[in-house]
Amino acid sequence: MAEGREQFTSRWGLIIAALGMAVGTGNVWRFPRIYATNEGGAFLIPWLFFLFAWSIPLLILEIGMGKKSRMGLVGAFGKLVGRRSSWMGGFVALVTTLITFYYSVVMGWCLRYFLAALSGDLSRFTDAGASQQAFESFATNGWAVFFHFFAIGIGAWVVHRGVVKGIERANRILIPTLALLLLVAAVRALTLPGAEKGLQFMFHIEWSRLADYRLWLEGLTQSAWSTGAGWGLLLTYAVYTREREDIVRNSLMIGLGNNSMSLLAALAVLPTVFAYFYSTLPPEVAYQRAFDVATFSGPASTGLTFVWIPILFSKFPFGQFFSAIFFLALTAAALSSLIAMVELITRILIDLGMTRSRAIIAVFSVVFLGGVPSALSLNFFANQDWAWGLGLMVSGGLFAVAAIRFGLNRVRAELINLPGNELNVGPWFNGVLGILVPMEFLVMLTWWIVQSFGFTEAWWNPFSTFSLGTCLFQWALAAILMLSLNNWMANRTLGTGRVNQLSQGGIQ
Amino acid sequence: MTLDSVITMIVILGGVWGGFAILIVSVVRRERRPSDY
Repeated sequence: MAEGREQFTSRWGLIIAALGMAVGTGNVWRFPRIYATNEGGAFLIPWLFFLFAWSIPLLILEIGMGKKSRMGLVGAFGKLVGRRSSWMGGFVALVTTLITFYYSVVMGWCLRYFLAALSGDLSRFTDAGASQQAFESFATNGWAVFFHFFAIGIGAWVVHRGVVKGIERANRILIPTLALLLLVAAVRALTLPGAEKGLQFMFHIEWSRLADYRLWLEGLTQSAWSTGAGWGLLLTYAVYTREREDIVRNSLMIGLGNNSMSLLAALAVLPTVFAYFYSTLPPEVAYQRAFDVATFSGPASTGLTFVWIPILFSKFPFGQFFSAIFFLALTAAALSSLIAMVELITRILIDLGMTRSRAIIAVFSVVFLGGVPSALSLNFFANQDWAWGLGLMVSGGLFAVAAIRFGLNRVRAELINLPGNELNVGPWFNGVLGILVPMEFLVMLTWWIVQSFGFTEAWWNPFSTFSLGTCLFQWALAAILMLSLNNWMANRTLGTGRVNQLSQGGIQ
Repeated sequence: MTLDSVITMIVILGGVWGGFAILIVSVVRRERRPSDY
């Protein structure tokens, strides 16, 4: 349990690692498509609203919990909320672990496409049919397993080097590189003839759209997905912070930095789509065609990124070069987040009594094996993405429950408003964590359950790819597993004493 | 681009990127004060 704990070398070390955690494929792959699907400008309003009403409050809470407890998710929940709540940390950790299984597969795809762009292979795809066929063929054969192996190998190697020499150093390279690559791709996209049509699409607000509750729910899920709020990743990094850190300002930086990158990625992708169709089709059909492509989900939501981007980039001069830039940026984004996921699992295993080296080997082996089914079957991949992507809602809800049980005033006094802060949160933050976040969670969950009845006739079927049943079944299994391991995990991470110091006076 | 889209673009990009830039500058300034740590 008592590992000699490293610390980030400076405040920038934490911020850059946390930005690496937050900025991932959710920014480059998911954001432009969700943005387009919700018909542009109006989507920005709920997306930004929930940055402040969901993501940043949870990021603040995560840093506070990690810094106070100096333990990973299981230990932090057990130590702060009470031993009987260790399972809640375990559930959040399990959700993130199961996401890691297929996230590593996605990074493998990015890596494969970067190499294909470099070699010129991607330029061969001139129509969507051929491009989609090529993707499906690659994503379901042994090469996908090989690249998944390679991806988790890189992630494990970085984490094995430690917090400073591995995580901090890697992110100091990855994040500035990613920003630069996205900037180059965005400048390139914005200088294409017809790019202003993309900008018009992106920033025209159809105010009537704000009356559609689905827009708000999409804004919330995108913000939660993209910032990593409620995943437990920032809690894990906060274990390695120095004593004096400005928790509130750091969280604001992470949230705004993440959204800055998302906008940059959208500026690289959407104007390219519109520029291409407006330069090749009559204006009366170009808009619809561009819209169709920008919102094309394709197999397992890979349509825009893995099917259309290779085609679109190849249509313009220096397409091979810019295609390689784009997929390198995507790979860097994926790796920086994968590193955080590997560290999250590793930290918990260390808290359970393993050495870092053994924990890394265990994480590498389990994530590799766990990701193989997703590397071989897009259906399995899509099911896992569906079940555990939505499982993050529950994770966020559990953080809110933890804050309420710890005591909202105590959260502010003991976890957040600490020496080192230049910005503090006032009593209004009790309302945000105690009312707003739980309410958002309940509304979102209820809306989603009601909607799920209409997704498929077999909504109850736990073995259907996209069903309510598959989510509830898998979530229930995860909760039962963690509940049954609760005492064992609490004893291993906190010792066998019945009452621990931090939870004295709080709810046991 | 229409005027309303240009204004929205300036507000959104200015707000998000500008806010991020202001926070970076404030952290840089604070990190230069060694007495804080």
